[in-house]
Amino acid sequence: MTVRWEKAAYVLWIVALALLPGRAYGMHISEGILPPGWAGFWFLVAAPFLVLGMRDLRIRAGRAPHFKTLVGLVGAGVFVVSCMPIPVPTAGTCSHPCGTGLAAILIGPGQAVIVTSVALLLQALFLAHGGLSTLGANIVSMGVVGGYLGYGAFLLARKVRAPWPVAAFLAGLLSDWGTYAATSFSLSAALAGGGSIAALFRMILAAFVPTQVPLGVFEGFLAAGAYRFIRTRRPELLELPAEGWAP
Amino acid sequence: MVELFSDIFAGRDNALVRLDPRAKLSVAVAGILAALFSGGATLPIAVFVVCLSGLFAVRIPARWVLARLAGPAVIASVLVLLQSFLVGATPLFGVSVAGVRFTAMAEGARHGLLLGARVLGCSSIVLLLGSVTPAHRVFHVLRWAGVPGGWVEIAMLTYRYTFVLLDQAAEVSAAQRVRLGYSGPGRSLSSMGILGGTVLLRSVDQASRTAEAMSARGYSGQIGFGPMGPMRRADRLVAGVAPPILLAAYLLAEGMLP
Repeated sequence: MTVRWEKAAYVLWIVALALLPGRAYGMHISEGILPPGWAGFWFLVAAPFLVLGMRDLRIRAGRAPHFKTLVGLVGAGVFVVSCMPIPVPTAGTCSHPCGTGLAAILIGPGQAVIVTSVALLLQALFLAHGGLSTLGANIVSMGVVGGYLGYGAFLLARKVRAPWPVAAFLAGLLSDWGTYAATSFSLSAALAGGGSIAALFRMILAAFVPTQVPLGVFEGFLAAGAYRFIRTRRPELLELPAEGWAP
Repeated sequence: MVELFSDIFAGRDNALVRLDPRAKLSVAVAGILAALFSGGATLPIAVFVVCLSGLFAVRIPARWVLARLAGPAVIASVLVLLQSFLVGATPLFGVSVAGVRFTAMAEGARHGLLLGARVLGCSSIVLLLGSVTPAHRVFHVLRWAGVPGGWVEIAMLTYRYTFVLLDQAAEVSAAQRVRLGYSGPGRSLSSMGILGGTVLLRSVDQASRTAEAMSARGYSGQIGFGPMGPMRRADRLVAGVAPPILLAAYLLAEGMLP
C-alpha cells in the first residue's frame, strides 16, 4: 500500500465520517471491533457468571413459576434504559444509562447478568447496537461489572446504615461508572497493539468523562427515585434479591 | 422505538425471510468469523457490499439502513483516529491544533481502516440477519442450537415486555408533561424517578396477569419449544455452500490460495 493511497483512504474515511448521521450508540462495543482472541476471552470470562445466573434462575423459578415473567420484565427495563442515547461530543458518539445497578438490587446480581445478556442479544440483533462477537465483552462490562458493583455498593451502603435512597443512588452511580471503565478497558486491551494499554485506556476513559460523570449521577438519581417509589408502593418486590442466590 | 426494530421488515414475503433461520445463522456466523479473522480490509468490505446489496434487494429503506449503520461506523471511526495518532512509527501526515503537533502514523491508520472495514462488514451481517428473521424464529433457533430453555424464555418475555414498557412509559411521560412535571431540573429528576417506578409497578401488575393467564393455559414453569422441521433443499444448499465459499474467499484474501 503506497503512502499516497493511504493518505487518500484516510481522507475518504474522515469525509465519510463527517457525512454520517450524528446519532450513534457508543456504550456497547460494536460488532467487529474486538479481535477474535479477545472476543473469545471475554466470552470465557462471562460464561461462569451466566452459568451461575441460570442456576439461580432455575432454583427461584422452581419455587415460584411467575419469577421468570418478573425477570423478563426487568430485562425489558434494562433494554429500554440502555437504549436512551445521550450525545458525547468529545468521543463523537453517544452514551446511555445502563440500568443494571437497579436491576441488581431488584432481582439480584446473578439475574442482572442474565437480563443483561438477553437485552444485549436483542439489541445486537434488532437494533444493530453492540454485536454478536462482542457479546461476551459487553456482558462482562455491563452485566458482571455493572451488576455486581452496583449490588456490592448497595449492600455496603446498607451495612454502614446509609438510608435506602442513598444506597440505591450509589448502586446506580457505581454500576454506570464501573460499566464505562470496564468497556474502556476492554477496548484499550484489544486495540493497544504494540502501544501502551494504560495510555489508550486513559484516552478512551477521558473521552467519555464529560458526559459519563453527569450521566452516572443521573442514573444514580433514577435508581434512587425508582427504588424509593417501589419501596413506598410495593415493598414486597424488594424482598426478591434476598430470596435467591446473591453472592 | 418500536418501529426501529429490525424485525418489522421480517413480516414481508421474500426469499431471505423464507430461508430457514438455521441456514441464515450458519451463514452469518461464518461471515462474521471470516471478517474477524481477515488480515486485510478487502474481505470485510466485500462482505459489507454483499450484505448491503441483500438489504436493498429485500427493499429495506436506504435511510433506515444508513441510520442503523451510523452507530458502528462512528464509533469505529473514532477508534481509527485514536489508532492513527497512537500506534505506529511511520509518519503519514501531521496537523497542528492550538500549537500542538499531532502526527498520524501509517501503521495505525492502516490498522484503523482494517478495524473500520471489519466493523462495517460484521455489523451489516447482523443487520441483514435481524431484518429478515422474525424474533420468534430467532428464539426457536437459539433453543435448537442448545441455548438453555430458561434463557430463551427470558429472552421471549423481555422482547414482549419491551413493548409493554415503552407503551406505559409514553403514557406516563405524556401525563407528567401536561402537568409540568419537567419544568425544572429538580422536578425533572423527581418526575423521572416516579416515571421509572410507575412504569415498573404497572408492568409488574401486567406480568402477574400474564403469569396467571399462562398458568391457566397449563404453564408450569417452562415454555415448550416444538422441534424444528427439516430444512428444505434450498435451505440445505445455502447452509452447505455459503460457509465453504466464505472460507475460500478468506483463504484467497489472505493469499493462502494460489
